[in-house]
Parts: sequence; structure tokens; C-alpha cells
Amino acid sequence: MEPEVRNPYEAAAGTLLIVDDSEINRAILAEIFRGMYRLEEAENGQEALEKIQSLGGEICAILLDVIMPVMDGISLLRELAGRGLPQKIPVFLITAETSGSVIQEAYELGVMDVISKPVVPYMVQRRVNSVIELFQARKRLNSVVEKQRSEILEQSRRILELSLGMIEALSTAIEFRSGESGEHVRRIHDITKFMLEKTKLGRGLSQEEISHIALASIMHDVGKIAIPDAILNKPGRLTPEEFEIMKTHTVQGCTLLEKIPQLRSLPAFEYAYDIARHHHERWDGRGYPDGLKGSEISVWSQIVSLADVYDALVSKRVYKDAFGFDEAVQMILDGKCGAFSPELLDCFLSVEPQIRRMYHKK
Amino acid sequence: MEKETMLSLERLGVDTESALARFMNNGALYEKFLRRFVQDQNYAALTEAVREGRVQDAFAAAHTLKGVSANLSLTRLTESVSEVVEALRAGDLEAARALMPAVEEAYREITAFLRELPA
Repeated sequence: MEPEVRNPYEAAAGTLLIVDDSEINRAILAEIFRGMYRLEEAENGQEALEKIQSLGGEICAILLDVIMPVMDGISLLRELAGRGLPQKIPVFLITAETSGSVIQEAYELGVMDVISKPVVPYMVQRRVNSVIELFQARKRLNSVVEKQRSEILEQSRRILELSLGMIEALSTAIEFRSGESGEHVRRIHDITKFMLEKTKLGRGLSQEEISHIALASIMHDVGKIAIPDAILNKPGRLTPEEFEIMKTHTVQGCTLLEKIPQLRSLPAFEYAYDIARHHHERWDGRGYPDGLKGSEISVWSQIVSLADVYDALVSKRVYKDAFGFDEAVQMILDGKCGAFSPELLDCFLSVEPQIRRMYHKK
Repeated sequence: MEKETMLSLERLGVDTESALARFMNNGALYEKFLRRFVQDQNYAALTEAVREGRVQDAFAAAHTLKGVSANLSLTRLTESVSEVVEALRAGDLEAARALMPAVEEAYREITAFLRELPA
């Protein structure tokens, strides 16, 4: 028998499952919702379970009788509650049972409403339809929220990428004056990131924080923009006065960064300030500008310091040729190029073979 | 549903108005189930269980019979069966037995008419 369709969107509205051992009860309920939903029937809890298993998410509501053979309403409800189903598909008890304990247990198991028999059509309709509408609205909202969430994540990612690009551009431009290529800046970034991710130096830092630090490391030498060409690109040894001026690139760097409002709002700013100012400090306290000693120097400044030295050694510069990797490592260990913490050197040694592979020597 | 049939039912105490409302004004569906009521087994099951003293079975049959007759708005039958349901719920077989004659009368009265309904 074909149901007369009152609502042309009946199919889209979902399937109503009517569970009752009495045919007349099922017929009455079916008649009430004919044309609003697709209808399915079951004679007992067991049959209902089978229908639920095969129809799954198609079901938009379950109308459930209590007294049935084979598996009664409460037993079915317990089964469904165990699977968390009443939270996804609204269940309505349709019953002549007025005993308080049955109703209480039903509500505890997640039933949306208890409707008494014999039913009054407009009441059942309203109570069931309202709840179904609510559940569907909630579903739609959840998927909208999900969609927006992933859009926001994508946008954040793009913003971060943009920031990284701009900062890289800025730093590369500044380093360009001293004959450095964009590669130096990128290598410092990569080495810093690598050391934090692959050794215990990064303990206690989240992946996000590591990304910020790596970003910050790119700006360690922006202060060089304030150093005159003659000093910056002098091929020979610097005089003591010239060296004093050269040293100021640390303080000039952090001061410059402080003056850029967009940078100050970045999470990476604190790290950038720190690294720009302190990447020439020494473990033994004889560094500059503040003469910090030992663990007064932050881990990230120490790492950038080492990375900077290593990169300088293995690259050709204005004032020197490139050293070989093993030679560079030895020089660092011998304390010829700055003083570093034993722990830092240990970690560095353990991953240096992988770091040297970042350099594509011709 | 035919006017004459409705009047006859009302004379037998049937609340046709509420029944039709329950059946969404689908007179044909209501009639179909009225006719089918004649074949309902629960009255027979109830009388047998009461005779044999099986309280639980009697209760189940009475409960179902009550539900069906309430759905069809057979008010006289529903009322008399309700009393039997409550007696059996309390486990009072004696009281149930005493109430059965009223049930029998209401049942015979309505089924006599329903049996005559044209198919």
C-alpha cells in the first residue's frame, strides 16, 4: 500500500521506526506520521535492533512501546543506551505504563519524552516533530561548526605562512648587505628547529612553540642593518673600535624588532628579541652585550649562537674560506669559536651528521 | 465512515469522535480495525487464564485487551476491562473473577455488532 505523500520532502526527512507488538497501535502511529517521514515497523525489541542495525543513520526517531514479547521496551532502551544511541536518535516511549519507576529508568536511559496511550494525534505529532527538528538543527549546527573550524585552521596556517615569508624576506634583505644569501637565514631556521625537535634541548616545548622559535631565529642578525658597510664587509680583521661597533648589532637588532608593531603581536616576538640580543653571549660569561653566564642564556639563544658559528665556519664568507665539516666540529669542540654548554655540544654532536646533510656542497 | 454505522456505534457507547481523531480521520482505517477486533484473541485468553487461575497471563491479556479497546474508543468495554486489570495487578484473582461478568457483557454486545459490519 503506497502511502499518500503530504510532504514532498518526506524522503529527506528520515525514517521513523515504530516499535509495538500490537498491530493496531502501529497502524495508529503510522497514520499520524504518514507523509511526514518514511515509516518502518518492528514487533519487538529484537526486530527493532535489527532494523536499527540495517538502517543506521537514516532513522530520525524511534517510537517505543514498553510491554512486548521477546525483548521489551526497557531492555531495548538499555541496549541502545549502551551504544550511546539515544543521544543521536531521539527515542520516545509510547505506553500505557504509568508506573513511576519505569518512566524514571526510561528517562535515565535517555528517552526524550514519555507519551501515554491511547494517543492523541496532535499531541504526539507536536512532541515528536519538535524534538526531531531540534536534533536535526543540532546536527546541522555541528557540521557548520566543523566546517568553520577547519576554515579557521586553514586561515591560521596561511597567516603563519605569510608571516614566515615576510620575515624571511626582511631578514634576507638585511643579510644581503653582508653578502649572505637567503640560504644562511633558512639554514639557521632549520638547524634551530632540528635541534629543538630531535634532541632533549627541546624538552618542555610544544611543536607550536618550536615553530615560533624557529621563526624568531631568522631575525637574529637584523641589527646588522645599522652597521656601516665598511665594517660589515671589511675583508680583513676588525680593529677594536670597529669590533665594538659590530657588537652593537645585537642591541640594535632587538631595538629594531621592538619598533615594529606587527612583530610585537606575534607569539614569536619574545623569542626574536631574546635571540637577536643574546646570540653572541658565551657560556663562560665573556660574551656580549650583557655578559650573561651559563644557563642565564636561554636555550634558544644558545642554539642559534652555535648554529650561527657552525654555519659561518662551513660557509665561504667575505673574510674567510669555508672549512670542512669535521674541521668545523673540531674547532667548535676545541673552544676556538665561542664557549658553549657541555650539554648543548653533546646534543649537537649527536645530530650533526644529519645537520651537515642540509648543506648541498658543490 | 457511514453515518448510520457511526450512530449505531455511539448507541453502544463507542466514542466515535475521539476514535476518528485518533485515526487521523481515516474512517476506512478505523473500520478495518473495528472489523479485525472480532478476531482479537485477548478476550479468550483472559477468560481462560482467569478460569485456570493464571494471574500473570490474565494480567497480560487484560492489559493488551484494554489497550486495543481504548484505541478503538469502545468505552464500555474499556472501563470494565480496566477494573479487571487493576485487580489482577494487585494479584487479586477473586476480585478479578467477580468483575468478569461485566466484561463479558460489554464484549458480547460490541462484537455482536462488529461482526455484522459489511466487509
